[in-house]
Amino acid sequence: MKRLQENRIDQISKYLQASKLDPELLPEILDHLACEAEESLWDGKSFEQIYQDMVKTADAQTLLNLSVDHQNLLAMEKSLNDIVFENRNKSYGAYDLRKGYGQTVQRAVVMGVAFFLLLVMFPQLYAKLIPDPKPNDIAYIVEASPVDIVMEEPPAPPPAKEELETVQKTVKSLTPEVLPDDKVEIEELPPVIEDLSNAQPSTETVDGVENIETIAPPVANVPAAKAEAAGIEPKKEETFTFVEQSPQYAGGNEAMAAFLRKNLKYPRPASQAGIQGKVFVQFTVGSDGKIENAAAVKGIGFGCDEEAVRVVKMMKDWMPGKQAGVPVRVRFTLPIAFQLD
Amino acid sequence: MENNTTSNEYVRGTLKTIVLNLLAEHDRMYGYEITQEVKDRTGGAIALTFGALYPVLHKLEQEGLLLTESVEVDGRLRKYYSLTHRGNETARTKTNDLERFIEAVRLLLAPKNLATE
Repeated sequence: MKRLQENRIDQISKYLQASKLDPELLPEILDHLACEAEESLWDGKSFEQIYQDMVKTADAQTLLNLSVDHQNLLAMEKSLNDIVFENRNKSYGAYDLRKGYGQTVQRAVVMGVAFFLLLVMFPQLYAKLIPDPKPNDIAYIVEASPVDIVMEEPPAPPPAKEELETVQKTVKSLTPEVLPDDKVEIEELPPVIEDLSNAQPSTETVDGVENIETIAPPVANVPAAKAEAAGIEPKKEETFTFVEQSPQYAGGNEAMAAFLRKNLKYPRPASQAGIQGKVFVQFTVGSDGKIENAAAVKGIGFGCDEEAVRVVKMMKDWMPGKQAGVPVRVRFTLPIAFQLD
Repeated sequence: MENNTTSNEYVRGTLKTIVLNLLAEHDRMYGYEITQEVKDRTGGAIALTFGALYPVLHKLEQEGLLLTESVEVDGRLRKYYSLTHRGNETARTKTNDLERFIEAVRLLLAPKNLATE
């Protein structure tokens, strides 16, 4: 195959450029025409003749049509942005921003959705990540608890006895300090006032005539009045809370504890429910040493209260409390401990 | 020349199929090679002008049926065309369609010829 000389190719190229062929199409058309020309050269035609034929077939109109076709094809690919920015400064930046807008929005949506999902899922993720430490915490607590249980059981019985003793002690120590003042004032003052008016009549039966002389005796009678007052008080059956000598179970605390131990039965409902604790039974020890008005003041239920009251009522031999040597009614509160062994 | 013009009228509708079919037979071809192939195989009955061929090639390329590669040959840039995977499928269906159409046209033309005779 004969090859076209450089200057011939240049000539064709110049012709195509002069015909305003689209620069993008030029290399391809040039190659095509050159191939045709070479083929013709092979057939023995002169270049001049070939060039004439070429200009005839590839006339300006044909080349223009090619260019227009190509432009139309490109126009279909062109976006709105290309049309808007045609003949404008594309390097300014707005063109790039507009061109990448679709991608930017897509990326933003993906990131936004991902962030939102992460936010919504965060509690679940957190719950999935955190539970590991929890079992360890519980394990430590379990180790510590049995020690507490051992501690609780043994010390429970002693407090019951101690409290019984403390009650008695406090009663004894308090009586001389506080009670005499109250009682002396309340019970002895009225007699003193009455002595001025009523004492005279009461003593009048004996000393009725000696009114004038009795002005001095009433002063002397005051102690006598006291004795009478003390005698009258038990008759009124006034109930004391604190007395000089508190009532006591015949035989002492040891005997009472033994009695309770012997007669107290643990109520079945309480033992089944595992109920423990103290029942405070309040009762009155009469001046004759009998138990009256026994009632549970504070209890633990499950039949323990009733049982405690029942046993307390069973007790008979109490030594009554004494005030100024005279047996009196005393209200007494006895804590009874129910303890499961 | 007369022959060419008449054939050009029919070629316009079938050119796309012809090009696809030729490219399906070859790995890659350039524009002039296609015109020569058509010319040789039809004995010159169908002559493709570059004015008709290149717009079709460019259109097929834009539709994603053809791939192009430029190779420098003898100091000139030569643009080779080859079929994409989708182009292969399209070539097959289009060729089948054209064959069926030609059969139909033949059926249409045959009775007329018989009647006139």
